[in-house]
Amino acid sequence: MSNRARAGLVALAVVVVAVAFVALRPGDSGNKSDDTGQKTSQTESTGAKGPTATAPSAPAPPLDVTLKGGAPVGGVKSLKVKKGDMVRLQVRTDEKVDQLHLHGYDIEKEARASKPANFAFKASIEGVFELESHTAEHAGRESLMARLVVEPR
Amino acid sequence: MIVIAHGIVGRSDLPIPAWLFGWAAALVLVVSFVALAVLWPQPRLQDGGFRALPTGLSRVLTSRVVEVICGAIGVGLLFLVVYSGLSGLQVATANFAPNFVFVVFWVGLVPVSALLGDVFRAFNPWRALGRTVAWISQTAAREPLPAPLTYPERLGYLPAAVGLFAFTALELVSSSGSEPENVAIATLVYSAVTFVAMALYGVEAWVSRGEAFSVYFGLFARLSPWVRRGGRLGLRKPLSGLAAFEALPGSALVLAVMIGTVTFDGAGEGPVWTRISPRLADAFRSLGLSPEKALEAAFFVGLCLGVALIYGFYRLGVGGAASVGGGFSPRQLSRTFVHTLVPIATAYVMAHYLTFLLYQGQAMRFLVSNPLGRDGTDIFGTAGQSINYGVIGATSAWYYQVALVVAGHVAALILAHDRALVTYDQPRLAVRSQYWMLVVMVGFTSLALWLLAQSNT
Repeated sequence: MSNRARAGLVALAVVVVAVAFVALRPGDSGNKSDDTGQKTSQTESTGAKGPTATAPSAPAPPLDVTLKGGAPVGGVKSLKVKKGDMVRLQVRTDEKVDQLHLHGYDIEKEARASKPANFAFKASIEGVFELESHTAEHAGRESLMARLVVEPR
Repeated sequence: MIVIAHGIVGRSDLPIPAWLFGWAAALVLVVSFVALAVLWPQPRLQDGGFRALPTGLSRVLTSRVVEVICGAIGVGLLFLVVYSGLSGLQVATANFAPNFVFVVFWVGLVPVSALLGDVFRAFNPWRALGRTVAWISQTAAREPLPAPLTYPERLGYLPAAVGLFAFTALELVSSSGSEPENVAIATLVYSAVTFVAMALYGVEAWVSRGEAFSVYFGLFARLSPWVRRGGRLGLRKPLSGLAAFEALPGSALVLAVMIGTVTFDGAGEGPVWTRISPRLADAFRSLGLSPEKALEAAFFVGLCLGVALIYGFYRLGVGGAASVGGGFSPRQLSRTFVHTLVPIATAYVMAHYLTFLLYQGQAMRFLVSNPLGRDGTDIFGTAGQSINYGVIGATSAWYYQVALVVAGHVAALILAHDRALVTYDQPRLAVRSQYWMLVVMVGFTSLALWLLAQSNT
């Protein structure tokens, strides 16, 4: 193979990949699912309703987490919202008092058996953020109560 | 914080979406096969080539004055880490020590080394202190000091592998590893061990092989075109620094620790590990450990598994390559090809810690003004600043991460190909050995993509 042919082959491969990448980029139309194996299910909700659902600051449905005996009922959940959503999150507990900390946004609230904690804020940062109970942490128990997943619009 | 993975992290990445994962995986395969078809038939990287910088500039940069200043800065930072860790506020996010050690030093120096060369060598506080002590005692003794012991050949990089593993265990396994006081104590312990080893084997011998961070950053620095040779600074061919790497016993283990610990850190946030770890912790608890210790034990097992997985997979590929003939043992081939893992390790570290560095690195802006985290301290007037989470969005982070992984893959393929050409005298064997190396590379790269795709779900 001549040097020119080699260079041509490489250039061709780059072009093909680049073109296909650009063509396929917007949204997850399901046509790549063979390649992605076990990853498909968890990301469907990320891409599927991507381009259309974009009313800015639309009020998201209220999220709630219930803690029983210091652990989240139903396991550690991922609470999904879109960037820019107004998030309302309610945390109930059966402890006397539970110190809660939402990382990244750095909001601290107290939940009591008598009065749940209410978080209300705008989801301005994309990423995954942990909701921790400092009360559980100090007691030497698992402190992760839920994850807030803020996806790009 | 019991769910460990850096006590200083405020935000973690969104997993890359399925379509991007699919495309990246496809891209990796296309690149690999194109590479097999078109890579050069003659070795090109084995002689580095060297273009020296102008003598004046070179002389300034390598002068004794610059050396002393850099060393002093390194020593100053070492003291600041210990001091703020011991006497500052015991909150990981508000104290200079953990942020500097885990963000600026451990992660931040990786891209700096890969771009600019072995910067850490100039700032290495242990080397600077060791050389100072040697110089003082030499001057005081007025006669040559007794020669240090010969560094045992078979130790190779093993002490460095152990040191790196211990550091990552502090970061990823210990539930209190990012507490400022513990960071300071670990720093002191490591310094003591380093000084003893330097006293035994000599400063340069220990720095070049046994000192974990010199070895770690030195490997990344081999990616850089910048090099110091014979007292002069200059440029070498890209990647030729890695081709010139001399493998010693333990090289593969160092790389396995580098890749395996990142693998565990990535997988540790994902569903597979979050399902396994409570059961593992329960098993340890039934052996009589406290809940906290049981979880640490489970994470320790996970970290070991991560390293073992990477090491095992590499040895499997090397064993396969040995089976094609040519008269090489797997051990020989392991050392022959181990440098090809460096770009992969770089891609793992950079892709996994990219946003961690970009976000948490900003904490330095307020921590330099208030390293101890005390109310009212504001040395440079920046103590009130905060982390701007707008510097990079989730979507652009995905592209950078995937680009880094693919670039690492390509660099590794090129290095392995070039090395095979000089290793095998028959081109046919060289190509057949490369099928095995290709499997190893594709495996590592797919694992990197998978880690990016599954974290935090």
